[in-house]
This record gives sequence, structure tokens and C-alpha cells, in this order.
Amino acid sequence: MSSVAIKVSGVSKRFRLRHSATKTIKSMIMDLLRHGGRTGGELWALQDIHFEVEAGRTLGIIGANGAGKSTLLALLAGTMTPTTGIIQTQGSISSLLELGAGFHPDLTGRENIFLAGAIMGLSRRKMKQRLDSIVEFADIGPFLDEPVKHYSSGMYVRLGFAVAVEVDPDILLVDEVLAVGDAAFQRKCLKKMASFRAMGKTMLIISHDLHAIQSVSDSILFLDHGQMKGHGAPSDIIGQYESFSRGQSGGDLRREWGTREVVLKGADFFDDNGNVTRSVASGGSVNIRIRYEVHTAVGPSVFGFGISDETGRLVHGSNTQIAGVDVGSLARSGSVVLRLPRLDLAAGNYFFSFSAHSADHRTNYHRLDNAFALGVDSEKRVDGVCVMPSEWRIEDSRGKEA
Amino acid sequence: MVTIVKDVICHRELLAMLVARNIKIRYKESVLGFLWTLLGPLLLIGIYALFLGIMRFSISMPLLVTGIFVWQYLAMTLGDSTNAIVGNANLIQKAAFPRVLLPLSIVLANLVNLLLSLIIVGIYLVFTNVSFGMPLWLCVAIVSQMALCIGLSLLLSAANVFFRDVQHVIGVLMMAWFFVTPVIYSPVMVLQTFSDPRLHQLFYLNPMTGLLALYRNALMGEAMPQANLWIPSLAVSWLMLAAGVVVFQKLQRSFADEL
Repeated sequence: MSSVAIKVSGVSKRFRLRHSATKTIKSMIMDLLRHGGRTGGELWALQDIHFEVEAGRTLGIIGANGAGKSTLLALLAGTMTPTTGIIQTQGSISSLLELGAGFHPDLTGRENIFLAGAIMGLSRRKMKQRLDSIVEFADIGPFLDEPVKHYSSGMYVRLGFAVAVEVDPDILLVDEVLAVGDAAFQRKCLKKMASFRAMGKTMLIISHDLHAIQSVSDSILFLDHGQMKGHGAPSDIIGQYESFSRGQSGGDLRREWGTREVVLKGADFFDDNGNVTRSVASGGSVNIRIRYEVHTAVGPSVFGFGISDETGRLVHGSNTQIAGVDVGSLARSGSVVLRLPRLDLAAGNYFFSFSAHSADHRTNYHRLDNAFALGVDSEKRVDGVCVMPSEWRIEDSRGKEA
Repeated sequence: MVTIVKDVICHRELLAMLVARNIKIRYKESVLGFLWTLLGPLLLIGIYALFLGIMRFSISMPLLVTGIFVWQYLAMTLGDSTNAIVGNANLIQKAAFPRVLLPLSIVLANLVNLLLSLIIVGIYLVFTNVSFGMPLWLCVAIVSQMALCIGLSLLLSAANVFFRDVQHVIGVLMMAWFFVTPVIYSPVMVLQTFSDPRLHQLFYLNPMTGLLALYRNALMGEAMPQANLWIPSLAVSWLMLAAGVVVFQKLQRSFADEL
């Protein structure tokens, strides 16, 4: 069966922004006086989104915070209406947008279950039949007739998930479920979602857990600032997203200063075959060509580099002087190449800093801190930032090799 | 209008649950619980009886009792309504269901209180030996007051989403409305004090004035005012319902955006 469960065509959503979250008559009058009727700006949370999900398929949605993921689910759930475009859905929809959102703290678990069921359009009779499996899944047995305000946050979330799943919708919308609850609950959720998939239900999932989303999705949609950056096979889009977010992050660690007699124009990362690269395998090699422009001829100079981890902590730093390479005086623009034959770094994102300064370290011509990102991939997980060769030996109690 | 009625009928089970929820929550963790439905108005009646007595302002007790209970239905409903949408922001943002159920459930929860109070009022009136009037008017009055309450509740709950000022100003407006309505005084007094018939018409354009006339005719045999006074008064209640439905329909699309 290849009927389309969700069809989104040319959907955009605009929010009007105001200076304060809540509008009062006073603020409206002030706005009228100040801007002649224009109140605040506007924000396009989503722009021109197109996609289809076939019945029985699972679509994962990824993107940084504020990319428009939750707005998209709200539009699909019908709680918001698109500014332009059309959304067509086939079948009943249950949304797990924020677990247990509809619960009233003063009502008991049982009362909330029936209320939530009714909100999703299920009769009391049908909910009664499902009560046992909900209570079992949520594991709240003795607390069923207690007000939910006395629940632990774990119980609250479990109950929310159980209710949303047990109403047995054709389409399930899941927003960041995998970020809450303990490991046991997350396994339970993943198992439930897998069985949901096996039953031929359609799912839309938002998660920041790329590993989990890759394992449950048939295809992935990548949003950035309300725009579709990609839509396709999970591994392709996850790869695209990872390299994209590498380029984005580090922005707040980036620093730049110097007298600018010599200016560093950029750095190109390439492998030993000369191919441009943004990531290397742990223990592998990388070459970096640092391009510079000489604005004013300077005397004996030094080029330096540093590698920092994502938090900005320096992992390694060195320069041409330490390496015993004489750069000499700089009169014309050019480039220097740095080769790191063994990058023994743990998997993760790293930032490179480069500098050009005088040989006596008195004058800093130009320094670019944390300006270039490089990903390091590894199958093995190690703690810390560097990978050290390590060997183990097992001995018995007498200190002899076993 | 038709879609709203259809929505409500389709979701009657949810509506019933919301009504039950409103009643349960109001009196949670209070010792006297549901009794407050009666105690609140009774204390009010006591206070008015005492002070009006001290000020040598003659008022019949049956008139005061019916007036306060009927007024309380309106006052409690509107007081709750401002919060109907704003207080359920979570639900509105996360689930798609007819939003009209939220203010409607408040009107119905308070209606339950009114009906229970009317039983007590009825018992009291039997003991005071007033003569009952047309029972039909009681039904007309209750249904029309519901129409008025639903209409205003829809208007207030929707308006409060866009202007939170509504919830602050409503208390003062209710106070003003209370004094232009013959709750603690007899409408006859107003008609006698002012002779201009245009003023009489204006006095009765207040929908609560007409409704009280119907209630008091049914419950204590008070003479009905002239038809040209109470019929327009009743019509205003139903106009409010129509206005509420139209405005709410128009505004509900952007609730989730605004909350």
C-alpha cells in the first residue's frame, strides 16, 4: 500500500512578534502612536515546506533549536493553522507533543486518562478497555487514583506516553520523547514505536538524538531556520546535518584580533590526496593550507596553530618556531601548509586557531581563534579528548601472566 | 453556527468531562466543598439584608434571594470565563479539539450550581408563602440566561487571549452592571422614580433586568412588566449569543499563535 498519509504542500507559517509576550491595551496604544499601527516584526517559522509521508512510513525531523520542527508538528496536529499552503492528512492523529500536556494536576491519573482520551476523540467505553494496558505501560499501579500533581516526573511522562500511544491513532506525532525519562523508559518507548511501525502506522518524530532517529525513521527531513535543507534517506541527511552543524557551531568561541600587517585569509583542510575534507578518522592525517596576505612588509615571523575541543579548551598548540622552521621576513602574500600526520583525537568536533606574529612575540599580526571546525570520527569511544595507545595485561594473584 | 453545534454534539462526552472537571476543581481541598455554591450567595444575602435594613431601605426578602442567586450565575460564569482559554494554554497548543467546549463547559458547570440553588430557593419560597407564577417563564428565563452567559463567555474568553486587560476590568464592570440591574432593589422603584418612557426602555435593554422579571414572575408571582419592555430585553440575551459565536469563530484560529 502506498497511499499518502500526510501531504504538505507549500506550507509557510508566520508569527507576529511583539515587544512583550502579552499584549495589553496600553502597549497596543503605545505601538499605534509609535509605529503608526505596525506592532513589532514578524517571523517566518516555516517557509515553503513540501513533503509527503506514505502510510506506514516514519519520517524523522531534525534541526537546531528554533528550526521550526515543533511548529511543523503543531500545524499537522491542527492546533495551528498555516499562513499559506495546504496540509492534508488521512486518518486520526494523536500527538505526543510534550507528554502529558493536557493533564490537570488536581485530577487523578484515572480522570486524566479519560479526559485525555476524550480530547483525542475516544469514547469512555473504548478508554475503559484500554485502561489496563495504559496503567501497565505507565507503571503507575498504586497511584492511579492519586492526583497527578503527586506523581514523580517520570510517572507523569510515562502516563503521557501511554495515553497517546494507546488511543491507537493512524498517525502519531512524537516531539522529543526520547529526551525525557530514564534509559529503561526510553527503551520501552523505542520498543513501542517499533511495534507501532510494524503495525503499519505512520509516525513523525522530532528528536535531537540522531542515533535513535536514524534507527526508527524511513526518511528524514532537515530543517534550518524554517527552511527545508534536505529530505531523503536517513544516513544521507544525518551526514549532511552533522557537517552543517559543525560549520555552525563554534561561532561563540570565535575570536579575531591583531595589528593586521599580515592577515590570515583562510585555511583549507585536505587529505593526503589533495581532496578537501571537513572530517578525518581518529589517528589519520590532515593537511591545512593557511593563506595569508601581507599588507605591510614585516621582519622575521612565526605561524602558529592551536586545536581546541567544543568547549574551547586548548588540546594542543605549536608554531613554526618550536618546530624549527624558519619563516623569515614576510614581504608578499602567500600560504603555508601544516601537516598533522597523526590526529590522535577522540571522536568529536574540534576547532582550529591560527596566528601570525613576529619572531620575538612582541607583535601579533593576526590571530583567528576557533575559526575552523574539523570533525574527528572514530568507531571506538574513549573518554577525554586524546587517544593514547594503551595495552592491557591480565595477571593472576601471584603476579604471573595468566 | 451550524458547525459549532455539530462540533459540540460530536464531542458531548468531552464536554461532560470538562464540566465535571470544572466542578471538581473549584472546590478541591475545601472542607465545605460543594456547599460553598449555596453558602457564598447566602452570606451575600445576609450582608445585603443587614445593611439595607440599617439604611432603612425596604426590600422584600424573596426579591433579594431570587435576585442574588440569579445574579451569581452570571457573575461566577463571567469571572471564570476570562480564564477559559488562557488557563488552558497547554491544551490549546497541544491538541486539536473544538475550542468552544472550554467556555461552554464553564457555563454548564455554573448552570449545575444555579439549578441546585434554585431548588433551595424554591423550598425557601414555599415557606414564605409567596404565590408561584408561570412555570414556563422559569424555563424561558433559564435558557435565555444560558444564551446570555454563553455569548458573553465566548466574547470574554476570546478577548482575554489578545488583551489580558479583560480579566482585570471585568470585576469593576460587573460591579457597575450589578447596580444598574434590579438585584437588590425592585424594578418598580425605578419605573416610578423616572417617568420618561425612553428611560424605561433603556433600563430594560439590560438583559439581566428582563431575565430577573421572568424569574420573579415564575418564582414569586411578581407582575410581568409591559411586553414592549421585557421582549427586547430578552432579545438582547440572544443577540449576545449570536455575537459571541461570530467573534469566537473568527478569533479561535489564532489562539495557539497568541498563547
